[in-house]
Amino acid sequence: MKAANQRLEWKWGILAGTAMAAILWGVGPAWAQESVSIRAMLTTSVPADDPTASAWNSVAASQFPMSPQVHWPTRIQEVTVKDVRVRGLHDGKQVAILLEYDDPTQDPDDAAAIEFMVGDKKAHFAHGQPMGQVEGGPVNIWFWKNKDAKALDMNAKGFGTLKVQDQQDLKGKGVYQDGKWKVVFSRAVTTGDANDTQFKPGEFINIAFAVWDGQKDPASGDLKEKGSQKAVSSWWYFRVDPQPDYTSYFYALLAIGLAAGFEFVIIRKLRKGPSA
Amino acid sequence: MKGGIHLKPALLMVGLYIFFKFGMPLFTAPLPASLIMLYLMLTFSGIMIFMTLSGTSMESFLGPIFRFISGDGQDGTMKMARLAVLALFPLLVGWQTYTSTASSTAPPAENRTVHPAPPGEFAAMSNPVPNTPENVMQGKGLYAAYCSPCHGLFDGKGPASRGFNPPPANFKDPTTIAMLQESYLFWRIKKGGVGLSVEGMPWKSAMPRWEFELKDEQIWKIIMGEYDGAGQKPRTWE
Ligand code: HEC
Ligand code: HEM
Repeated sequence: MKAANQRLEWKWGILAGTAMAAILWGVGPAWAQESVSIRAMLTTSVPADDPTASAWNSVAASQFPMSPQVHWPTRIQEVTVKDVRVRGLHDGKQVAILLEYDDPTQDPDDAAAIEFMVGDKKAHFAHGQPMGQVEGGPVNIWFWKNKDAKALDMNAKGFGTLKVQDQQDLKGKGVYQDGKWKVVFSRAVTTGDANDTQFKPGEFINIAFAVWDGQKDPASGDLKEKGSQKAVSSWWYFRVDPQPDYTSYFYALLAIGLAAGFEFVIIRKLRKGPSA
Repeated sequence: MKGGIHLKPALLMVGLYIFFKFGMPLFTAPLPASLIMLYLMLTFSGIMIFMTLSGTSMESFLGPIFRFISGDGQDGTMKMARLAVLALFPLLVGWQTYTSTASSTAPPAENRTVHPAPPGEFAAMSNPVPNTPENVMQGKGLYAAYCSPCHGLFDGKGPASRGFNPPPANFKDPTTIAMLQESYLFWRIKKGGVGLSVEGMPWKSAMPRWEFELKDEQIWKIIMGEYDGAGQKPRTWE
């Protein structure tokens, strides 16, 4: 009798354990998706104008695929750059974003850009072009060109509206090495300029990329990629990481204490029997 | 067989869990974890009420559980199992609390409505271009020139598709043009991604607004070529 009972309780123990684990596991965090986002990690010193700084090796790169721009005339059917690898670092004041991509030749007209929305309104990834049923906002474009050796702070709200801002808040520097461009863009996390995108630590915002290979057609001597003819991406996600927050460790410890206390009370009650 | 009294409810809980977590996403968007938790809690309370309705069923249901937890007269592996469960429970509660309060490092989940309702003026349209082999062929020619860079050979995998999120629609997939009317396609092609309503998230779509480059008649021909090439038929209201 006793042995049979014990076998029975065994079964219950396993069942209870697996059911509990299954439920709690299911309520846990969803699997993070790969490379739909980049996070600028918190650091103590930001390599604001050094694309080759060793600090960049301490953060993992997110990779984003690029398309030839076929959305709007003038189009291009094939481009050099197929992917960009992106990293971010910040120290609470400065934020730096590193773009890295393969390009077999270094040319004066090589160029790369990053795009963000500005303000509360959504903006289309193609220069904030007008949308039919939704009122859109402008975009902030950071535009680096090899031959200028700097990055321009720009705005657009529709094609043909791209212009350089009066207030320039950006730094940009590119280094060409081993068939690769490494271009770092950096800026203050917040600026006083309403035309700029502002980063709020912890909050994901949209980001898009564009790259021009400045190679010339050997026959005609014309640039193959320029203006609208470039490699583009649509919107992905970016955030400046928040300061570390330890309160969830505290909540977890509290929860463990409460659960253990609960067990203790139950067991005591059961041992004393119904009379207690 | 007395074991069944616990086996069935436990199997029910596990089965429901698997259904909500993995089965439902086959038909709808994945359920939020908090909703799954709520459903399982409701099921659990239901089982408890059912099992404890009468005194005898209550004793046979709860008795073994209580004896297992209190550790009455246990030894060996039984004792170990009990200790393991008692130790695991607070740890799991702690882990759960941690993951639900820790700030997430993943971007917000976005529920884009893929097929929002078209504006009224497009709803009642019908294709004015006769469906002749020649028109279908012309449509396919235009498709190859304008659409295939993104939509490829009707599979959404054209050479210019990789950088775009959401990706260009796959017309062979039964959930795209096969369940849409020709008038819906006419709206989507003419007004493009930017023509979507707010639930369609027009700011993310790379689908061009073809009204600037193609005449209405060309769009209708492309629609016929597109259905033919993808081996699909437009949806009609019989
Ligand atoms: C620049 C890339 C691109 C080109 C070129 C392009 N499309 Fe699209 N198309 C997309 C993307 C991305 C989507 C999915 C997002 C959306 O629904 O707006 C889409 C969606 C669609 C849809 C909606 C399908 C559905 O299930 O709702 C139709 C229809 C369509 N395209 C037809 C065309 C036709 C016809 C052409 C050529 C005249 C064309 N597209 C050219 C990118 C493109
Ligand atoms: C499908 C998406 C895009 C389309 C159709 C497009 C189209 C164009 C067009 C038509 C021009 C010519 C100038 C003008 O109209 O203002 C242009 C230039 C430019 N675009 Fe885009 N663009 C796209 C995406 C992007 C993105 C994502 C960025 C930034 C990340 C960007 C950055 C620029 C810059 C910096 C220029 C100026 C280039 C120069 O002066 O050499 N574009 N683009």
